[in-house]
Amino acid sequence: LPFVSLAADPAVISPQDPTLLIGSSLVATCTVSPDFHLKAEDLYWTLNGRRLPAASYAALGPTTLSVALARLNGSKQQSGDNLVCHSRDGGILAGSCLYVGLPPEKPVNITCWSKNMKDLTCKWAPGTEGETFLHTNYTLKYKLRWYGRDNTCQEYHTAGPYSCHIPKDLALFTPYEIWVEASNRLGVAVSDVVMLDILDVVTTDPPSDVHVSRVGDLEDQLSVRWSSPPALKDFLFQAKYQIQYRVEDSSEWKVVDDVGNQTSCRLAGLRPGTVYFVQVRCNPFGIYGSKKGGIWSDWSNPTAASTPRSERAAGGCDPKGGEQNTTLRRELKQFFGWVKKHAYGCSNLGIKLYDQWRVWLQKSHKTRNQVGKEP
Amino acid sequence: GDSWGILTFLCAALCNLPALPALNCTEEPGAGQNIQKTYDLTRYLEHQLRTLAGTYLNYLGPPFNEPDFNPPRLAHAERVPSATVDLDLWRGLTDNARLAANYRAYSRLLCYLRALDGQTGTAELRHRLGHFCSSLQGLVLSIAGVMSSLGYPLPVGPSAPPGAPGAPNDFLKKMDDFWLLKELQTWLWRSAKDFNRLKKKVPPAVVTLRLETRGF
Repeated sequence: LPFVSLAADPAVISPQDPTLLIGSSLVATCTVSPDFHLKAEDLYWTLNGRRLPAASYAALGPTTLSVALARLNGSKQQSGDNLVCHSRDGGILAGSCLYVGLPPEKPVNITCWSKNMKDLTCKWAPGTEGETFLHTNYTLKYKLRWYGRDNTCQEYHTAGPYSCHIPKDLALFTPYEIWVEASNRLGVAVSDVVMLDILDVVTTDPPSDVHVSRVGDLEDQLSVRWSSPPALKDFLFQAKYQIQYRVEDSSEWKVVDDVGNQTSCRLAGLRPGTVYFVQVRCNPFGIYGSKKGGIWSDWSNPTAASTPRSERAAGGCDPKGGEQNTTLRRELKQFFGWVKKHAYGCSNLGIKLYDQWRVWLQKSHKTRNQVGKEP
Repeated sequence: GDSWGILTFLCAALCNLPALPALNCTEEPGAGQNIQKTYDLTRYLEHQLRTLAGTYLNYLGPPFNEPDFNPPRLAHAERVPSATVDLDLWRGLTDNARLAANYRAYSRLLCYLRALDGQTGTAELRHRLGHFCSSLQGLVLSIAGVMSSLGYPLPVGPSAPPGAPGAPNDFLKKMDDFWLLKELQTWLWRSAKDFNRLKKKVPPAVVTLRLETRGF
């Protein structure tokens, strides 16, 4: 395709790349270079590819055409609206990028957490409910309360678009002042300062080695055992634990809140012959005598177990009927029992393994569904 | 005895058999395979560029993302090397000149693309650009590999003038960005033809053999 290579800029637009508040008006002018032998009447304007009405034009001189834009809306794209001055045949003579938007509002809801007292991650929300239409930059700053130096966080977007991660050099026992600055072409807004002590916002890894097992032949109970998170084992703290469990086919979790400090718990009031998924999480509060609660860890990976079902209820009147494959499961259980008695070296085979397989199946089924949803 | 040795050796060379026990046989990656690899890379980049350009031009906004958009190329936009060349000139290029033109062009295009990276607004766009730059870097290295396997020296000199002036205003910068993507696209089309041509001229494998002197 032939293209025209030009030595000098054919025309000049004023203002060039202005920044404007939403709702303001603008008069822009296009002045053609004398080398081009074009007159004001040979020109027209477009904004984001759409021709502007001739009624808004005015010739300010033989080679200068102006256009009046009233009550501008927010920019269509963050790179700026494209206001272009054309010659009659459609050729582009000059252009100007209009940045129309709003100044940022104070960022709000700053929340932070420290993983095992080694780092600090903070997230916040932009103040504006709608958008500013302009590219807005966020900077997280922090300083120790009684020391002068401001520090700037460098690693952004670690926990979502409005987040930052401070990986090292954190001091304990002295509170930090933390704030977020939002800036764009139209101004700056600074959030309120949040003051926190690292020891008050500690979270940790989920408890490890979660085991769920039957309590003898009791049909309605399961026993849950776990270990305290290893990363904090050298620190003096109290731990609170929470357990949540659900029936295999349900998405409704039941939470056991008052587990306290122990590393074991018995779940009661369960349905016989049912597979349950169990998760545990930890809150390391009171680290080094901190009076505030800590932050709950993530839930541990689900562990599965099933309550026994007495063989006498083989008539199977289960009014809920929500259990799938009960016959299959019963048969499998009998099979495994037989295997244990008659086969050597198959001691790992058992109904427990089958239950773990069901957990894995549900998880991978979920992932497969998510993958399928990707564009 | 000895003549049989030579005959077997020649047979092996012709049939590309692996090293014979009595001889040291080293097989180089083969300029032919490198050329094929480079050709495949240009096709892959062409595909990647379609998505990247679509996203970037939407970010620039209309009229840049309109299909028939054809702005003038202003003087300073000529720093981007043009792929367009006279047909007879292109046909008459030596292998060395052909490869050197590709190498120089992509080295400079890579520099300009990298400069784009820091200024664009959305995180998604920056991520795509970063990925594309890595792939483009791979292409530059691949071309260098072909040149060295054919014994050509790499073109010397600054790939882009370090103090190159940027566009004087934001709109002209958008036009520069548009032309950068256009030239990248044209170069990838052209390179596919360049490497196709080179493929036909270079044999599939170059096997170099070192004969140990055994009194032949």
